[in-house]
Amino acid sequence: MYLNKKILVSLAILITGIILASICYYSTSWATRPVGVITSNHIKDELVNKTEDSYKNNDEIRQQTMKVKVLSGKNKGKTYVVHNVYSPSQAVTYKYRPHQRVIVAFVKHKAKVMSPKRDWVLVLGFFIMLSILALLAGRHTIMLMASLVLNAVIFFFIIKFDIIENGTKTFLIYGLAVILFTFVSLLLAQGLNRKMLVTLLATLLGVFVSFGICYLIMRLTHESGIKYEAVDYATQDPRSLFLAQALLGVLGAVMDEATDIISSLHALAKHKASLTIREMILSGRTMGQEIMGPLINVLVLIFMAEALPMTILFLRDNNTLNYTFQFALSLGVIQSLISAVGIVLTIVFSTFCSIIFLKKKARR
Amino acid sequence: MNTLTALLILLFALMLIVGGTTGLKSYLSVILNACLVILVALLISWGVDIVWVGIIFIPLKLLTIIYLGTHDYAVAKNSFITALLVSVTIILTIIIFEHFAQAAGFGDQASEELVGLSLNVGISFPQISIIVTIFSTLGAIAEASVAMSAGLLELKRHDPNINRTQLLHNGNQVGTDILGTALNTILFGLFGSFLPLFIWYMRLNYSLFDILNDKLFISESMIIIYSFIGVLLTIPLTTYLLAHTLDKDNH
Repeated sequence: MYLNKKILVSLAILITGIILASICYYSTSWATRPVGVITSNHIKDELVNKTEDSYKNNDEIRQQTMKVKVLSGKNKGKTYVVHNVYSPSQAVTYKYRPHQRVIVAFVKHKAKVMSPKRDWVLVLGFFIMLSILALLAGRHTIMLMASLVLNAVIFFFIIKFDIIENGTKTFLIYGLAVILFTFVSLLLAQGLNRKMLVTLLATLLGVFVSFGICYLIMRLTHESGIKYEAVDYATQDPRSLFLAQALLGVLGAVMDEATDIISSLHALAKHKASLTIREMILSGRTMGQEIMGPLINVLVLIFMAEALPMTILFLRDNNTLNYTFQFALSLGVIQSLISAVGIVLTIVFSTFCSIIFLKKKARR
Repeated sequence: MNTLTALLILLFALMLIVGGTTGLKSYLSVILNACLVILVALLISWGVDIVWVGIIFIPLKLLTIIYLGTHDYAVAKNSFITALLVSVTIILTIIIFEHFAQAAGFGDQASEELVGLSLNVGISFPQISIIVTIFSTLGAIAEASVAMSAGLLELKRHDPNINRTQLLHNGNQVGTDILGTALNTILFGLFGSFLPLFIWYMRLNYSLFDILNDKLFISESMIIIYSFIGVLLTIPLTTYLLAHTLDKDNH
């Protein structure tokens, strides 16, 4: 019976998702830019010329000719013949397909297709994820989603605050952010109790102490070899931006690990009343050894994979590996290293914070 | 000494002190993993077929993360099979969604960084984007399956007579704990990596419609979704496979 209810809820979420994604796909009511649809059944696609850049990379420039009907905005209902120039490698250009929904712009009364309309894909993906989650985690889903939404809201206000201060007071703003994120996530996951407070303490120690040590090392080595100018999309001081990124990046993994270790040690202390401090430290250490490798790799992959397209482009444009590493990869690597230090130190903090569970037991 | 070297040495010392031999192996696994990413970039830039790079490097990366990261062979074997199966499913999901989202390549925001670079380089950025996305999710999948296998085998060790139904039931509980924390790792990792982009949206007053259709926003959010679906699928699959293997051992 219980399982059936889960399947029903999960199906309901999936259907809601499909409906919402369709509404998102067809509706133009909330669009702040003109939306159009490609009406041609067959898009004419011709070769303009073959290119070879100065690094001997061969590519093509092609032009698509298609009819686009505008669905919203001033020119609603009109159909235009639109040309789209693209290259098959599609680094910054797109190859369009018939009947695709697109975002249109008008330059001197001529229509131009800017990009595909993508919002509905995200809506669909999100609801598919939610439906699998409901199927597997049951009512736990609500807590997880509440945590996700609340953290996103906090993130929004932190950025607002950052913009008001214009990139100064980084440590204050993002230090505060770390405390808020940790408190909210742990409160929703575990409720307000002793175990949660211990996890909170271990997480904050892990983040701030490891970040402090890494920052000290950065200062001692005069931050040599860190190419702050390579911080992507910087609209403010790139150095403070990078430090903020590093601080946030380390938080999730540290919290993950602290929760794992402390929950298990808590269970162990409850299970076995005769547990000594020595046994507990040994147990925490063994568990930490098992977790730390995979966890560090999670972050290494997130931070490095993100830089991969730029790295490939740099290499393809005949830059040396050394230069490419410095400008496309080194920031990601340093960020991973700071996180890794945090992950290792958290084993120590989590284990020592867990000793509290023992002392109470011994007093009884 | 430059900062990178100093941090590398610090990490080595810490992992050795805290982790002993396992720590040393984990350190090796992290370095190897990072080098593999760089090797992938090199191979693709030399024009090696991206599909083949994926077919070879995805299992290879799972091997380095799982086998070098943990010292329990039973945990490793079960985790590897699970992670590989889940990765295949996630790759298919990624290919389908990427087809519709067309979120490959560089965003409009990157124009400043792209000045002076030739963009018509004759390799498929949609394919590269699939590799990037699957790499971003691999870590989370591998970590979840290791945590899950380890947790369940620990249960088995304490209670060797545990039966299949009990194991599946307990698997559910261990799984819910792992889900919550894994979501945090993925979420904050990506908050950290895309902080500048979000500041960009706010400073330039992007409307909600603009953000939801922006290439980089979509590709980042989709990575969170794929990773999480990956972790979600990993949990029951690990439990199922482990229960199956243990059953076979009992007969």
